[in-house]
Amino acid sequence: MSLPLYYYLAIASIYILMTWALYLPYRVAHLHFMVVANMAISGYFGGYAATQWGWSFGAALLAGMLIGAILSWLVSFGIGDAPTFAVVIVGFTFIYITKTTIENWDAVGGTMGMFGIPMVKNLLLYAYIFVVITGFFIYRFDHSRLGRAASAMFVDKDLAISFGVNTKHLGMFLQTWAGAIGGVCGVFYAFFMNSLFPDFFTFQIIGTTMTMLFLGGYTTMWGPLLAAPLLWGLPLILPTEIASWRQIIYGVILIVILLLRPEGVVTRQLIRKIQVKLKLIKVA
Amino acid sequence: MEMKINKGVHMKKILVITMMILLLSVGSIWAAGQKDEAVAKKFVATEWEIPFLNCLTGPIASIGEYLEWGAERAAWEINQAGGINGVPVKVTGIDTAMSPETGTVEMAKLTETALVAMGPVPEPVIMAAMPIAVRSGLYSFTATTSYEYAMKFFPWSISWFSPTDEKLPPVVTAWAKKHPEMKNVVQFVENYGAWPGMAKAHEIGLEAAGVNVLKEVEVPGDAVTFGSLVVKALAEKPDGIVFAANAEKVAKIILELQSRGWKDNSKILIFSSADDGALYTTGGSNINGVMIYNYVDPGLDTPRWQAFREAFKADHDGMEPFSLSPNYYDAVYMIKQAIEATGVTGDPSKLKEERILIRDYCNNIQNFEGLFFNWSNKDGVPQDKPLFLFQIENGQKVLVEKVIPGNK
Repeated sequence: MSLPLYYYLAIASIYILMTWALYLPYRVAHLHFMVVANMAISGYFGGYAATQWGWSFGAALLAGMLIGAILSWLVSFGIGDAPTFAVVIVGFTFIYITKTTIENWDAVGGTMGMFGIPMVKNLLLYAYIFVVITGFFIYRFDHSRLGRAASAMFVDKDLAISFGVNTKHLGMFLQTWAGAIGGVCGVFYAFFMNSLFPDFFTFQIIGTTMTMLFLGGYTTMWGPLLAAPLLWGLPLILPTEIASWRQIIYGVILIVILLLRPEGVVTRQLIRKIQVKLKLIKVA
Repeated sequence: MEMKINKGVHMKKILVITMMILLLSVGSIWAAGQKDEAVAKKFVATEWEIPFLNCLTGPIASIGEYLEWGAERAAWEINQAGGINGVPVKVTGIDTAMSPETGTVEMAKLTETALVAMGPVPEPVIMAAMPIAVRSGLYSFTATTSYEYAMKFFPWSISWFSPTDEKLPPVVTAWAKKHPEMKNVVQFVENYGAWPGMAKAHEIGLEAAGVNVLKEVEVPGDAVTFGSLVVKALAEKPDGIVFAANAEKVAKIILELQSRGWKDNSKILIFSSADDGALYTTGGSNINGVMIYNYVDPGLDTPRWQAFREAFKADHDGMEPFSLSPNYYDAVYMIKQAIEATGVTGDPSKLKEERILIRDYCNNIQNFEGLFFNWSNKDGVPQDKPLFLFQIENGQKVLVEKVIPGNK
């Protein structure tokens, strides 16, 4: 595989996972930006464990996932059923605290960053295995009672409570799951890049993944899966002269799609239509 | 009858084998001929393309623009003078913005075909993209970052500066010695990249001059008002101020200092990374008298520099060239010299060895004629680059002292 394709696919896998990490809590109307902080913490932990303690990638990945999950779980006691705005503020605060801590902590490289994270064989394969596993579990969740409860909670929290949905537990569960995915993304990112810098984990990641989520479609897991590789790849294939205009191109695409399809490109209706067509083809 | 059949079968076998041998022979001769022809055909480059991973959009796009301008100016001059070995040179700007992700893919693209590269520019992109260049054996000019970043990727990167803790202290000492009565200073430091390391180097220089650093005031990256920071600093009652922060913030903090009674601007020292357009546009006449150090002297009176300066001003509404604008200008000239001196052909089949030729030549270049001064490298590190201490007067830098840091 050519090197540019390798890195394109590598970053695409990170974006898919990160957009799913935002998608899951958004099923209950939570914009859980704390996943970016989880990504940074686990990424730095994984990088440190590999360079200083000689941990294998697998051990670092597992630890990163657990750290992400535990941190999100602890915080979710406070914001498991909090209003969207409160969840957003907590997320921003955590990103700020994490970035400042990293910048002031010489052991992890401080403002200079962390160098020399080892290369891992078949890393791209592992990343996509993780994408498939995560996708499978999200699919199962979306089609389960819990998924339907989340949909009810998204539309009307009081209605969901009247149906017997424990909104706090559901919110906590989804935030914890998203935190674990964020942690995994951090470790993959660290090993793909072989170095880390505090500015890797900024609000820019939120902007990009939010665009992917809302443009792709936030009502199904397929939206992020479609939008992440496309939006990430678009500026790379544009001619150099036009690539400089990518922010404007992004903006225009986002405005047009949100005007024409407020729920994003891939909606539940679209998925149903495709399923019906596929069934018709099968019958024929 | 049986004998006749067998004979016929044998004949057929022999015929087939003979035909195969004939075909193989013809094929081999044809292939050999082709090979000979290929060997005889000498590769001739039609253009030297130098890709430049730069930040042409985003928050530091203005810096990227004048870095690009410098590189293109050099290419234009070289082409006017007949190119490199008679072949024109072209600098291709590739925008990575501040995105490490874009930097990785763009660098990965270059590893397939580029003979040599320039950039990346911002540290986050350097950190993400340079490991790919190192793994693929592509030499890249990281000519704006500090030694501490560049050295992580040696020998596949080149440092434009000597180690921070060696190069900065002497110029800070020189500033402190201009004010023998100055005994206590406060330093404003922004936590970004190599800046805290530069602040530490300032402290070494101040200590050498017998000046005490009372406090380091951290300037938050997202700060928009500076009153509280200035109150914190002035509470220490310093008689000098040193800055290691972003240009615009430095200018605003100076205005805030003056509004709270600071009088002697010459006891303010600004570090090189803040020698940017925003310092002068935001600071205006309020920064008159402030001292600043940098690696280039805009007051130099050589025809080459004056031509560069006038061309820059013509293209930038009369603005003076900023401190980093000559870096990639010099880099393009260094590549030219390396190609000419090593006999690099640009032949894609010799890519690997020709990359190494350029790398080894540049990392140990001797007496290179830069835009401002000549310098030599040892293992990718400049040995004898000077620093300049200036005083700002009406938006211009007036040379106060030239300092050559001691070399290892």
